[in-house]
Amino acid sequence: MNSRLYQFILNKQHHAYRHRVDWDLAGEYSAAGLSPVERMADRFERLCKEEKAVILEGEQIVFLRTVENLPAIFTDAEWEHFRATYYIHELGFMSNLSPNYYDTIAVGLLAKRETADEDGKRAIDNIIALSDKYRNEAKRQGRDDLVEILTQVPRYKARNFREALQFFRIIHYALWLEGNYHNTIGRFDKYMYPYLKADMEQGLYTRETALELLEDFFLSFNKDSDIYVGVQQGDNGQSMMLGGVDEDGNDVFNLLSELCMQASCNNKMIDPKINLRVSKNTPPERYTLATHLTRAGLGFPQYSNDDVVIPALEKLGYEHKDAVNYVTAACWEFIIPNVGADVDNIAAMSYPKAVDTALHNDLVRCGTYEEFFACVCDEIKKESDKACSGLDNLWFVPSPFMNVLMDCDIYTGGKYNNFGVHGTGIATAADSLAAIKKYVFEEGSVGKEELIRAVDENFENTPELLHKLRFEAPKLGNNDDFVDSIATELLDTFAACLAGKVNCRGGIFRAGTGSAMYYLWHANEIGASPDGRRAKEPFGTNYSVSLFAKVKGPVSVIASMTKQHFENAINGGPLTLEFHQSIFADEDGVEKVGRLVKTFIDRGGHQLQLNTVNLERMLDAQKHPEDHRQLVVRIWGWSAYFVELDKEYQDHVIARQAYTV
Amino acid sequence: MIGTIFDIKEMAVHDGPGIRTTVFFKGCPLRCKWCHNPEGLSVKPQVMWKKARCLNCGSCRKACEHEECRPFGRCIHACPENCLEITGREVSSRELAAELRQSAEILGDEFGGFTFSGGEPLAQPEFLLELMAELQGFHLCIETSGYAQADVFRSVIGKLDFVIMDVKLADTELHRAYTGVDNGQILENLRVLQQSGPPHVIRTPLIPGITDTGENLNAIEELVGESVWEKIPFNAAAGAKYEMLGMEWFLKK
Repeated sequence: MNSRLYQFILNKQHHAYRHRVDWDLAGEYSAAGLSPVERMADRFERLCKEEKAVILEGEQIVFLRTVENLPAIFTDAEWEHFRATYYIHELGFMSNLSPNYYDTIAVGLLAKRETADEDGKRAIDNIIALSDKYRNEAKRQGRDDLVEILTQVPRYKARNFREALQFFRIIHYALWLEGNYHNTIGRFDKYMYPYLKADMEQGLYTRETALELLEDFFLSFNKDSDIYVGVQQGDNGQSMMLGGVDEDGNDVFNLLSELCMQASCNNKMIDPKINLRVSKNTPPERYTLATHLTRAGLGFPQYSNDDVVIPALEKLGYEHKDAVNYVTAACWEFIIPNVGADVDNIAAMSYPKAVDTALHNDLVRCGTYEEFFACVCDEIKKESDKACSGLDNLWFVPSPFMNVLMDCDIYTGGKYNNFGVHGTGIATAADSLAAIKKYVFEEGSVGKEELIRAVDENFENTPELLHKLRFEAPKLGNNDDFVDSIATELLDTFAACLAGKVNCRGGIFRAGTGSAMYYLWHANEIGASPDGRRAKEPFGTNYSVSLFAKVKGPVSVIASMTKQHFENAINGGPLTLEFHQSIFADEDGVEKVGRLVKTFIDRGGHQLQLNTVNLERMLDAQKHPEDHRQLVVRIWGWSAYFVELDKEYQDHVIARQAYTV
Repeated sequence: MIGTIFDIKEMAVHDGPGIRTTVFFKGCPLRCKWCHNPEGLSVKPQVMWKKARCLNCGSCRKACEHEECRPFGRCIHACPENCLEITGREVSSRELAAELRQSAEILGDEFGGFTFSGGEPLAQPEFLLELMAELQGFHLCIETSGYAQADVFRSVIGKLDFVIMDVKLADTELHRAYTGVDNGQILENLRVLQQSGPPHVIRTPLIPGITDTGENLNAIEELVGESVWEKIPFNAAAGAKYEMLGMEWFLKK
């Protein structure tokens, strides 16, 4: 590793090259009556001109953001108009796409220019002009290596591994500069390996020198990422997918996949976010290898199971050749590279809200649990309908360069235009229903009104009932069919409620197991819940057990959370397991955690994310943030530096279950 | 028959080969001053009070009608913060074996086996032997102080696949002073293990100033001979449990 450069970036010294621009583009464009696509093209051109070529000492992969902000291109009034006319998703710009890096790097931008529209041509010309600025700077610094590379790419195809990496960096950088966000990386080991392989066959790299270059390349994802803030710092969608099968069912995992995990492990930085596709055929050693990365404490890799995801996507109508190519969007949503335009996080449905409504409106008149559960299902249907409504006339600000990189007309959609809906708080809902089933209907030990009153009073006057519901009631995560089967029914119900719905782009709605930030937002929509959760306490993230549930251990959690029918709910959203650092103390522990992951996959789990946590360190970091700048934690679908998070997110991480040895 | 345990731990990675499930037997004849599982000392169920979380709300002081609360003089089903937990559960060997087999079923080929720890599992020999018979066919391991009558020791280790045995102090006097019992029986059992037992490992907890002295370690090294020997770092976090049990921790200072 180039440790000087690494320290330079770590200490944010490169921020000294940054400046802000205060252009009133929105006003100017509005007065001139420019169309949205013209505005995107023009801003991009101006930014490319404004960008300075900065080459840091020893840098092998160049391109650094020097303009810190993207000036607005629409006035507030114009946004208001858009929001009134269209459905605007999040920020309104294109996000969570997986563009075709592979073809672009293989042919060069000039070749892409031939088939691009006028705005695309203009974007390409600007990128080439900016990279020429870098070439001149390289010349000035006597960096002949870079002069040679930048003479070739991005104009022409990459001829070797380093050119391919540099080419990728330029494309990815340009996507961000254009104003797209959550720009994912895709199946990096699949499309990049041919370059590395060819170079190694020629003896240009050893394993070690290739790793060193890759570490510099990985570092490049962290140079500007603080500019790309999502809900919190770190939520930037730079997800990389490794492994998995190809179109013919062959295993893609290769030397580059291995080196990527190694580079991530060595860099210990939150980008890129590593995902690993596995299946029943994955050899045990690979899990051990991946667990070494887990041990590094970055919250990577996140696993997804080809045996479950591919058939489930096919069942939803994805062609086999596309389904086998799936990657993850920013967090864990499964998307298709090059041709997919799914909006995988368009809405969310809260299970506990459905239970809460049924509790208040229907419980008293229900004679049996089945009757009550049917009411909950009705509420899930209503909540699902609500989540899917108002999503008409979806519109994104057109991005000319993104359009060049996609193998479809991304302005109007892609080959796939499905909408993903998260399902929040499944454990809170399943635990609540289990408590109602057991105590209200089976034992009769808790009265219906008594329960409703206690929930409404946030259990203030009923400590004994709170204790029973919170600490003695059956909880999801204990391999107990009594409650696990309720989770299965809830997920099936949610999936069934979305089935058959058609969205405004002609696509379908996909049910998911993720929560994103709704584990906090949805938790605040309701008060306390019948599982003994107090008002304001958050739900578990994604597909996880409740925060305070006493569980037997990770083995039982895996058993409980692999029983459901993911083939009906494959928008994505992992089970999260937290392990205390001490479990990885020796090689033996690492191998055993890898075997636990294998168990999860072999049992048909869909997605899994492991965290290494050190409670003591997090508590100390809240007190002395300056001592723990590099402490990384996983939030809902991305990793972040602990000290850069708002306290509510810090506290949630602290409250999660950790399995110690 | 009925035995008393205080915990079942899934995914025990340091208690023998493979991903294991460890059962902790309650009750131990030794009183090691550094014991990191003080809830395993007494065979009786005990209340653990997490004082730090206690709101002094008085909920547990109200009279209740639960049979199981009687010995403790408090209601254990009332705490909104779950500060009161009973450690110690009486369970039949059959019921326990059924429960344990669940993790084996979940893990399938990845399952390593069961480990009996404590407390001292040899302090409930009949229960242990019954449980072992119920779990026949699985890889079985014990974590023991080795303090048991020779015939008990022999009959148990003869049916085990792996033994993890502590040798804490080689000197008899020091052993008596720090663990409360003589080590003569332990060392005799050690020889039995080495001569005719299954594969095993000897462990020595490194307690600062007590077991980690050069003299002690040299003497143990000689006793260990050809056996595998692991030295286990001292776990200072164990002190917290003493307070919960209303006990004094010798090593607090």
